[in-house]
Amino acid sequence: MDKVGIVGFYQVKLYSDANYGRYEMIFEAVRGAIDSAGLKKKDITTAISCTNDYYDGRTISNCYTVEVGGGYMADESKVEMDGAHAVLYGLMRILSGNHKLSLVWGGSMASCFPYHAARLYETDPTWERPVAYVNDITAAGFQMRAYLEKYGVSIEDIAKIAVKNRKNASRNPLALQEAQNANITVKDVLDSEIYADPVTELMVAQPCDGVAALLLAPEKQALKITDNPVWITGVGYNQETYYLGDRDLTKSMSMELAGKMAFDAAGIKDPKKEIDLAEFFEAYAHEEVIFSEALGLVDMGEGTNLNSEIDGDIPINPSGGAIGGNPPCGTGLIRIIEAAKQLKGEADGYQVKDAKKAIASGQIGMCAQNNIVYILEGGN
Amino acid sequence: MSKLTQRKSMDYIKKQYRETRKMPGSWYLSNYKYKYNITHLQPFLKKLKEKKLVGLKCSGCNTVYYPPRFVCGKCLVKPNRWVDLRETGKVSTFAIAYLKDPETGEIQEKPMVLVHHDGADTASIAQLNPEVDFKDTYIGMPIKAHWAENPVGGLMDVEYYDLMKDDAKDLDLPED
Ligand SMILES: [Zn+2]
Repeated sequence: MDKVGIVGFYQVKLYSDANYGRYEMIFEAVRGAIDSAGLKKKDITTAISCTNDYYDGRTISNCYTVEVGGGYMADESKVEMDGAHAVLYGLMRILSGNHKLSLVWGGSMASCFPYHAARLYETDPTWERPVAYVNDITAAGFQMRAYLEKYGVSIEDIAKIAVKNRKNASRNPLALQEAQNANITVKDVLDSEIYADPVTELMVAQPCDGVAALLLAPEKQALKITDNPVWITGVGYNQETYYLGDRDLTKSMSMELAGKMAFDAAGIKDPKKEIDLAEFFEAYAHEEVIFSEALGLVDMGEGTNLNSEIDGDIPINPSGGAIGGNPPCGTGLIRIIEAAKQLKGEADGYQVKDAKKAIASGQIGMCAQNNIVYILEGGN
Repeated sequence: MSKLTQRKSMDYIKKQYRETRKMPGSWYLSNYKYKYNITHLQPFLKKLKEKKLVGLKCSGCNTVYYPPRFVCGKCLVKPNRWVDLRETGKVSTFAIAYLKDPETGEIQEKPMVLVHHDGADTASIAQLNPEVDFKDTYIGMPIKAHWAENPVGGLMDVEYYDLMKDDAKDLDLPED
C-alpha cells in the first residue's frame, strides 16, 4: 500500500453534557485540524464525515453539517459507522489519486439522546426483540462472562484494565472529566453500579459529547505540508456474523483478520516485537484484552497479564482509550489521532518513549462485530 | 503552522457559551414495519406447534442453525435441510440484566442467556424460568425448553428455559 500522511488533526475536549451546540463543536474540530496544518478551506479537496441520523436526531444528518464540516461546495460524503471507518473512506479517496487533501471528521453528542436505549434496536426485530431486551451492555456481559469462563480470568483482572485506562485518562487533558481518576482502585470499579453483571459502570466507555477531525494527504503532498507527518502504512478491516449466538465470543475473529490484513500491508511480521503502542476503541474493558490477543500482542488467554501501562511492555491506550471518553462516531477517529500524537512525541503527560510504530483501531456493533485496524508510523 | 489563522478562529471557539439552549424534541419513527418472509420457515413453525424443535442445516458447511437462518453467511447459500433438535441444551454464556419497572420503579434482576441447543451449532438469546435464582446460573448449565400450554406455531412457543438437574460430576484431575 502507498503510504498516506496524516498532516493535521484536532480533537475537542470531551464532555458528558457539553455547554455548546453541535455546530460549534464540529467547527472547532474541523477548523482546528486545518489550522494545525496551516491550511485553508480551499485546500480541502474531499470531506468525509461520520455521524448517525439517530444520534443527530435528523434525517440525512450530514445535510446540515455542510458549512461547519468543510463540505461547502466540496466533494462530500458521510459514513454512518465509526470515525475510523470514515478515515478508511478518506484514505481510499487519497489512494485513488484524485485528491490532495482529505478532511475526515466524526463525532456526536450522546447527551442529547439515550445511547444505550437506542442500541436496543440493534437486535433482530423478528428473532431477538420479542424474546428479550438485549442491548450493547447485555451483549458485553455475555462476552465478558464467556471470556472469564474460558480462561479462568478473574473479574478483578478485567477491572484492572479499567483502572489503568482511567488513570491514563487523568493525564490526558482532552479526556472526559468523569473518566479521569488518578487514584481509582480495582475496588472502586467493582463497587460501581452493575450495568449487566459482570459488567460494571466503570468498565464501560461512557458515551459523551465530542468531535474530532483529521487531515490526510498523499506522500508528496504531505511532505510539502509538514516536516513530520505520521504515515498510515497499513489498514485492515473485517466483519463477523451478526447473531451473537453464531460467534465464539471469547475471541474476536474480525479483529484477528483485520489485524492480519493491516500487518500484511505494512510488512509487519512480529507485532509483539514491532509494535510500540496501541490505541484501541474498547467499548468495554474486557474488549481491550480480547483485541490485544486477537492482534497477537499477547498469547491467547494471557491478555490480562500483559504489562500495558504507559511504561510497560506494550502500552495500550496511553490516552485512556475509549474508557477515557466515547463520543459515538468519533471514538475510533480519536484513537488514530492519539496514536499519531504519540508518534509525533506530542502526547504531553502520557508520552510513550521511543514510539515508532503504533496500532489504532475502531469498531462498531455488538461485541465489536466490525473492526478496523490502522498501522501508523512516525518519521520521514 | 499559520499562527494568524489559528488565533482568529480559536478566539471564536474559546468564547464562553454561557447560554446553550436545549430544545426538547422528538425524532419519532416508532411505526416501523419489519417485513420478514416466513415461507421458508413453515416447517419450523409447524414443528413448534407440535412442541418440537428443528434446526436448519447448510449443505455447504454442515452448520446447523438454530434458530433457522435465511442465509448461511459463510457459504452465501440458503440452508435447506431440516434436522431434528433436542429440546435440551446448555447455557453458553449469560449476563444479568437489571430491569426497572417503569410504574413501580422496582428493579428486577434477570439472567439473560445465550442457549446452545443440543444438536445445533449456534446459540440464541433466551430467558430462563423466572423462578430460577439468578445466582444459580452458570456457563454449561443444562436446560430444557419450557413450552407454552397451547403452542400457536410462533417464536414464543418456547416461553423460557427450565433448569435441568445437573448430575455431571466435576472431573477429578490429578494435581501437578
Ligand atoms: Zn454454510
